[in-house]
Parts: sequence; C-alpha cells; structure tokens
Amino acid sequence: MENITLFINGKSVSCPRGSSLLEAAELNGIKIPRLCYHSELKPLGACRLCLVEDEKTGRILASCVMPAAPNMAILTDTPRINRHRRNIVRLMMAEHPESCIVCNKGNRCQLRQIAAQLGLGQTGLYPMPNYKPLEQANPFIIRDLSKCVLCGKCIRADHELVLAGAIDYNFRGFKSRPLTLHDLPLEQSNCTFCGTCVSICPTGALAPKNTAHAGTPEREAPSVCGFCGVGCSLSMGVIGEQVVEINPSDSKDSVNGATLCVRGHFAHDFLNAGQRLTQPMIRREDKLMQASWDEALDHAATRLMEIKKTFGPQSIGFLGSSKCSNEENYLFQKIARTVFETNNVDNGGYLSGRSGLGPIDSKTGGGWRVSPLANLEKAESIIVIGADPGHTTPVVDYYIRRAAKKGVPLIIVDPRKTDLTPFSTVWLRIQPERDVKLINCLAALLWKRFGHDSIFIDRFTEGFASYSEGLSSFNRERLCVEAGVDMSALERTTDLLKGKRIAFVVGHGILQQRNAVRAMEAIFNLMLMTGSLGSDAGGLYALARENNQAGAWDMGSAPDVLPGRQHLDDSRQRQRFERAWNTRLSPDQGLNTIRMIMEAEKGNLKALYIMGENPLRSLPQHERVLKALENLELLVVQDILETETSTMADVVLPGAGFCEKSGSYTNMEGRIQCVDPVVSPPLGARADWEILNILSERLGLPSRYNTIGKIRAEIVQHVPGYAGLDHGKNTVWISNNSQRRLFNREGQGEPIAFSPVVFAEDSPQNEDYPFTAIVGSKRYHLGSGTRTSHSRRIRNLGKNGHAEISPADGLELNLADGDKVRIHSQCGSIVREIMLEKGLEKGLVYLPAGFNGNDVMKLIPLTPFEDRHSTGLKTCRIRLEKLQSVT
Amino acid sequence: MTPKDIDWTRLSAIIDKHKAERWSLIPLLQEIQEAFGFIPPESIEIIADALKIFPVEIQGVITFYAGFSLLPKGKYVLKVCRGTACHVKGGRSILRLIKTQLGLEEGETGKDYQFTLETTACLGACALAPTMMVNRTYFGKLSPPKVTAVLAHHSKDKE
Ligand code: SF4
Ligand code: SF4
Ligand code: SF4
Ligand code: FES
Ligand code: FES
Repeated sequence: MENITLFINGKSVSCPRGSSLLEAAELNGIKIPRLCYHSELKPLGACRLCLVEDEKTGRILASCVMPAAPNMAILTDTPRINRHRRNIVRLMMAEHPESCIVCNKGNRCQLRQIAAQLGLGQTGLYPMPNYKPLEQANPFIIRDLSKCVLCGKCIRADHELVLAGAIDYNFRGFKSRPLTLHDLPLEQSNCTFCGTCVSICPTGALAPKNTAHAGTPEREAPSVCGFCGVGCSLSMGVIGEQVVEINPSDSKDSVNGATLCVRGHFAHDFLNAGQRLTQPMIRREDKLMQASWDEALDHAATRLMEIKKTFGPQSIGFLGSSKCSNEENYLFQKIARTVFETNNVDNGGYLSGRSGLGPIDSKTGGGWRVSPLANLEKAESIIVIGADPGHTTPVVDYYIRRAAKKGVPLIIVDPRKTDLTPFSTVWLRIQPERDVKLINCLAALLWKRFGHDSIFIDRFTEGFASYSEGLSSFNRERLCVEAGVDMSALERTTDLLKGKRIAFVVGHGILQQRNAVRAMEAIFNLMLMTGSLGSDAGGLYALARENNQAGAWDMGSAPDVLPGRQHLDDSRQRQRFERAWNTRLSPDQGLNTIRMIMEAEKGNLKALYIMGENPLRSLPQHERVLKALENLELLVVQDILETETSTMADVVLPGAGFCEKSGSYTNMEGRIQCVDPVVSPPLGARADWEILNILSERLGLPSRYNTIGKIRAEIVQHVPGYAGLDHGKNTVWISNNSQRRLFNREGQGEPIAFSPVVFAEDSPQNEDYPFTAIVGSKRYHLGSGTRTSHSRRIRNLGKNGHAEISPADGLELNLADGDKVRIHSQCGSIVREIMLEKGLEKGLVYLPAGFNGNDVMKLIPLTPFEDRHSTGLKTCRIRLEKLQSVT
Repeated sequence: MTPKDIDWTRLSAIIDKHKAERWSLIPLLQEIQEAFGFIPPESIEIIADALKIFPVEIQGVITFYAGFSLLPKGKYVLKVCRGTACHVKGGRSILRLIKTQLGLEEGETGKDYQFTLETTACLGACALAPTMMVNRTYFGKLSPPKVTAVLAHHSKDKE
C-alpha cells in the first residue's frame, strides 16, 4: 500500500494511506490516550480522549476518526489538549460510582490508568454517579452499567466481531446504556457468554464473575485454549499457581483476534476442581491406594510386560488423547509400536470422524490440510453442512457470520435451525443423513448448467468423464424429494454457486454419521468440480472438536498410520520407521477405540493404557464399556481428573492440564502452536510427556527424552509437515508436502481423482421407534463434557440438556416445556425434560451431548464406524414415553 | 388501540411494503407507530427477521427517538406545553387541572387507552399561550373552562 508523510509533534513520519491519525502515531511509536478505539473495531469517535491539535489551523481533532493526510502537521500533547482530556476524564469520574476499590477489573481498568497518567486524583466535581442495578445472576458476567463510559466497544464487539446481536445502545443522553432486547437479563438474550465484550470493556462495567473474589492477577502469561480445535490464543491471569482469569491474547495474528467463546473464557475453572488427580494410585485388594511415583510406574511397567509376554503384543491396547500434545502423542504411539510391537493405538479423534477424512487425506496427499480460517471471509461462497459451529467451534461461527455480513453467499445444509441459519442466503432443510443424495443432486444441477470449472478439472483432476456420466444417470427431482429439499431451493442454490469457488465447512453431522465416507466423497467431488480446492476463495474446513485432534492423528496415534499419517501398508515408510526406531513394524492395522473395547469384551484384549480419555463417558453403551473394562487384567489410566474411567483403573497416574506443561498443538487450520507452562501442575501431578518418558525408561526404550525439545526434534525429523517446528517459533503452519499437481509449484505430479457417484442407503424406518434423535453439542460442554462438567461456572448455569422436540409433536404427545420423558432406543433409555423448539421439524428430537454423564450415548449402539451396520454417532431411532411428574 | 388487538395482518403488510427498500427501518417504524399508536414490542423480532438486522438494534433505534414508543398510547395524545411563555401565562395550573381531570401523571396512559398525557417544551405558538395539542390539533388561550370542554369533547362518552 502507498505511504504518505506527515508531521507528528514536529517529526516527519510516514504511514499507509487510509490510516487514521491515531494509527499513524501508533505506527511511529507515539501513544495517544484513547478509550473507545480498538484496532479490530470500526472507529466511533465517542470518548474524545484521543484529541490532537492541527498545528496549522489550531483545530482540535479526534485522531481515531480523522484520516491522516499528506503534509498534515499535528501535535498530540499540548497544554490545550491536555486540559480538554483532563476535563473529559473528570466528568467520567464524576459519573462513576465509588465501588472502584472492589472492582473485578482492578488494575486493568483503563479509566483508572488514564486518570493516573493525567495526574487526576480528585475530580473537584460534584459526584453524580449514574446508578444502575447490578446484574449478576448469570455465572459468567457481572454487568454494572453505572461504570459504563459509553465507549460502545462492547456493542461494536458484539455486532462486528461475534455478531451475536445481544446488546445495543438504548435511549440517549444521561439515560443512554447498552441494553439487551426488552432489557432482559443476559441469559435470556442472544448472548452466548463469549465474554468478548468483557475483555474489551475498558472499565469495570463488564467484568468476569469469579467463583471466588480473586483480586487482580499478579501476572499474565500466553497460552492456547485447550478445548476445541480452533486453538484460540489466550492470555492467562495468574495468582500464585492458580489461573484466575482468561482474556484473548493481544497477538495480531492469532486465529481468534479479540474474541473467545464461553468455554475458553470461563470454563478453565475446571483446572481448580477438587476432583483433580494429585497422587499416583495402585489398586490393592480392590481399592485404589495412594502410591509413590516409583511404585506406580514400576507396577504399570511390570504388569504390562508380563501381559505382553503371556498373551502377546495384540493383547494390549493404547488409547491416547486428542487433548494431549503432539509430543505426548508421538511418544505414546512410539512406546506402543516399539516396546509392545502393536498397532493397537488410537485416540478420541476416532469418535469425532477421522474415518470420513481419511480418504480425502489420501486423495490429496494431505494437501487439503492447511486452510486458514481467515480465508473464509475471502471465500466466493460458503456451504456449511452438518455443522453448528456456534456450539462446537464458536470462533469458526464468527468467521462465517462476518463473511455473510460482507455479502458472501451462505448456504446451510441442516435438518435443524442452527445458530447460523438466520445468516444464511439459502437454508436447505434436509432430512437427517441424506446428504449424499443432496450433494449429488447439487453437483448434477451445477454440471447441467455449466457451473463447473473446466480449466481446473482438466489441469488437476482425473476421472471427470465417468463422474459426470454418473451425475447424469439419476433422477434429480426424485432424489431431491427424498433428501427432503425443494427442487426450487436447489435451483436457487445452483444459481448462487454457479461459477464460484466454495468453502465447505463440514461438521459432525457429516463426520460422525453412518455415511460419513460417502458423504465426504460426494462433497469432495463437488469441490473438485468447482475448483474449490487449493484456493483462498474456497477450501475444506473440517471442524475439529478437540484441540489436538489433527495433531494426534499427525503423530500416528491411530491404528492404521505412522507419524505423518503414513499408511502402515506403505512398505517404504514402514521400513523408514523400522530403521529409525530400530524395531519391526507389523503392516497390519491395529484396533481402533471401539474395537479395543469390543475385544476386551470378548476377553481378547487383556490390558489397556489410557492417556487422557474417558471411554466410560465418551463411548456408546456405557454398560458394555464398563463390562469390557472390568474384563481387563490391567487398566492404566493417566488423566488430570478423577473420571468414570479412572475410578476403575488398576494404576492411576496424575497428569497435567494444557496450561501446566509444555507442548505443541495442531489446530483445525493446520496451525501448530507451542505453549510453555503457565502454572505448575498440582503438587504430585506431572506433565504427561514426563510420565511417558520415565515409563519408557522402565520399559527399556533406549532413547531418553528429558526435555520436550528432544521429542520435538524427533518429530521434526520424521513428520515432514512439521519441519517448521524446528525454528523456535511459537506458531508455525504445517508445510504442504503433497505430491499432487495442484499443490506443486512446478505443476508436476499426479492429478487428484474423482470418486464414482455412489449413493448411500437411507437408515431403515422402525415403527416402534418413530422419532429420529439427533445428538449434538451445546456450547457449554465440549464433547462428552468430562472437563466442562467440572467447571463450577458451567454447572452454575444450571443447564441440564433438555430434549428438544417440535411444538407440533409436543401438541400430539401432550408434552409441554419441562415435562419429563423417558427416551428409549433399541439399546437403552434415559430420562430428560422436554423443551419445545420452533426450529425443529416434526419427527425430530434434538439431544445435546455432554450433560448428565453424557448418558445420551446409552441410546447409541457400540459399533465401529467401518462396520456395515454402524449407525454412526449422530442419530438414532427413539420413542418417547411421558413420565408422570411426582408432585 | 389496546395491546390485545394488534392487527398482525396489517403489521406484516407494512413490513412487506418496506422490506425491499434500502434504508427502510425508520420509515417502517414510523408507519407502524402511525398505524398502531406505538410499536408493539412483539413486532421487533419480526421486523428484524425481515430486514436481517439484530432485534436489539431496532430496539436501540426505537428508544433513541422520542417519536417512537414501545408502550401503547391513548387514542388522543395530549401534549401540554411547558415552555416559558406558557409558564408565565399559567401553564402550570392548566397542567395540574388536566392531571386531576384525567387522573394521569405525565407520560401515563389511561387504562381505557383514551388519553395519554405528555408535556413538551414550547409548541411554537407562544402568542396563543397557554397551549396544548391533542394529536395534531392545537388548542390555545387555554382557561380552565376551555380545558374541561376540550377534554369532554374527546372523552369516550362523547363518541
Ligand atoms: S459497558 Fe464497557 S465497553 Fe460497553 S459502552 Fe460501557 S464502558 Fe464501553
Ligand atoms: S458476551 Fe459475547 S454475545 Fe454476550 S453480549 Fe458480550 S459480546 Fe455479545
Ligand atoms: S473452545 Fe475453541 S473457540 Fe472457544 S476459546 Fe477455546 S479454542 Fe477458542
Ligand atoms: S479514542 Fe478517539 S474518540 Fe475515543
Ligand atoms: S411556550 Fe408554550 S407555545 Fe411557546
């Protein structure tokens, strides 16, 4: 961009054309006081603290809204300006209440800071505080609008960054305040408790509600959120060894900017839960007894080796964690593969839909992996399919809302009204799990109307001829009806998409459904046909539920791949690792998470080492999982919290939370972020990589990993995309090593193949179970909710996972809000209260996961995804039985 | 107009009429205010859906302008002048008289939605002080008997 030159305080400086005076000064190291300016928000010019004087005309200007012009000369610090500034701050202080001393914003209050800078103590004005009732019924945010200085930052953050539309200015003059619709409390408004406004509010008008009054943090340290796959950058406020507050970091190129979500902002209090594990334990005479680290690790190592010796390598399983770091997952699978010679290694990512992405990974040589979320705002069009990112990965939702507001056509494919449907250009209200039909119809219509990208197809793909033949071979109208969508809506969608590249945001409605693989193939075909791959204007964004889902897979913590997602049946890769690790590797796939449990059920699996997973909560059919775990000769659980699973263990090893240890995590975009510990683990607990290192020594693994750097160096050596980790930077991106022509700079390499057009069978109807339940997420719980259910704030919210049904079904079954029902499926039953939800169609029931011990999983049969009879983890057939309320 | 009998068909007709305009919010709200005497709070979300803006933004606009009201007003809105000229000519006792006759305080609306009592600064007809307006009609040179007559003329029994 072109630069211009001007004079600030007599010094010649330059800045890009279009900067405001305030930004020009800032760029040149001159700080102008401000309250209402924020670099990510549109300037408002409300507080008038940023005044500067035009040297030539003597005019006083608000520098945040005044564009810098060539040869302008301004002064930022004259007596005249300072007099104005002091008066403004005095007026603000006169209107301010005296509860400053116990204000939760403490020393972060910018009004106080500015007053101090301007040397203001007493205002000398008659105080006329503008008292408003304090709002603090919700467990997250305290609103004390008597402290509001009307800078409008909260409103702009709410409207421009997270687009929740929860608050706006109401009234004017002295009465003017940011209010919710009908002035209801926040919990009855559109507010998602993302807390973005809280962090951005310069005063104590909006403050986090602490579970205990903690005071101002003593120090702040950077970290990365440990919940979902977005991987938001955080700044953690710490007192002693306790994290007491979280704000978005002010790093310029973080994925989240100034935003966060309710989990990242407020649910970290699980770290201080009383259920943290702080002592190794060994089961003795059927009771878990405290033990020393030496005893516990010796016991685990000896028993594991004995079992291997007696029952062979395939009798042991290793269940690692999509929440643990890359380093930990690498070491974990290395122990499994070298010491125990087994590929029975997996992590929770299996449950969140790895199977659907595997084929895409192979087809593109991993080339699809790097997809910066920031590109969503540059997309030519967006299709959100089977995803409600406002609940699973809220920051992704903000990106999509911002894109839609800018005018990017937004197509939503979902049977339910989601948080995004109000922003959509078209909402294709599909029947559950008929996505394959719909996508193929859409592709066929686009093809018929020449909406394909023939240049891209010719250059980078193969097999289009037979694919397009497939597209002409079915009756579009009929299929469209079967998918539950109006042909006219589909035609409108086609008109919108024609000639555009598409960014696909794919959620668990696709990734966890029974037809995940076919649905992903259909989507991928459509991507190829529209030239949407390998471009900023399109792309594939697979939502990752957990922070290191992508990384755990990269590290080879999966039964079918080695580090770098190299397939076990690729003998060259296998040999490479055999040499590096000095071991023999079996080419046969190991057991995945569900198969491990099933083999334990049958008595074939004898020992299970679990690191940071809670299968008794996350897997279907808890009673079967329980039996299977009881069947084991040895269960070792390494975790941070006492969980359903850890209480059954023979050996318990207390690990560390995400901000209590070093490690790197790979987010859903392909961004690898390294973090240092912010606090120490609770006394008695240890970083998981340290535990693995000590254990591996006892197991006789020759390499020693006394520092995280040693593990990282090995990763850099063996995992090609991770070479950048070497350079000591905190954030690097996976490097694209795909050999496909599309991703090759010289245009060399193989084309990417279209998959044939195939359809999936609809799930069978069942008269006895007339409803289809959709299992999904609410933003307050992550996944199965092990950690979030230990957050006191989340518990205090008092949500209990109501079953949502349509008002029409409510009428028919005589069910009203709050009525209790027993929900039966073919494999179990649970009890829930009912909530009528206008956004649901008749026949559908929405069941949020994570609540009440995640008991919704009792309704779903335990079958591996690859099984022909798998129902997936997304839907099941149910019936509802009204329970008489006991009064 | 009582809150119970909001004519939803009429409301959606107004919304439909303005939906496609570019700066449609203010004219739309004006028309609703005109037609209903107030903007039914229940209509905010419907308007927001149609215009694709946040409901809370609409509420912000409504509460910003004195011309919009979220509370239903009476059939007749009295604006009694409290400007200087009227004050000098005894406007205060005129207001007091109206308050007792209607049993309403400033800003209130009667239960039968016949009258709303408001005050305003200078109606711009100082020569006729003391003054008031009933909806859009001016009444000047007010005296207690004249006030009684005007109120009686607009009362329910008279209709
Ligand atoms: S609540 Fe805070 S951020 Fe919002 S306008 Fe008031 S001072 Fe500014
Ligand atoms: S917490 Fe988030 S959603 Fe709620 S008002 Fe603040 S910015 Fe808006
Ligand atoms: S849970 Fe996800 S979206 Fe929320 S703050 Fe953490 S990383 Fe960001
Ligand atoms: S910072 Fe410029 S007016 Fe507030
Ligand atoms: S003061 Fe009453 S009309 Fe001017």
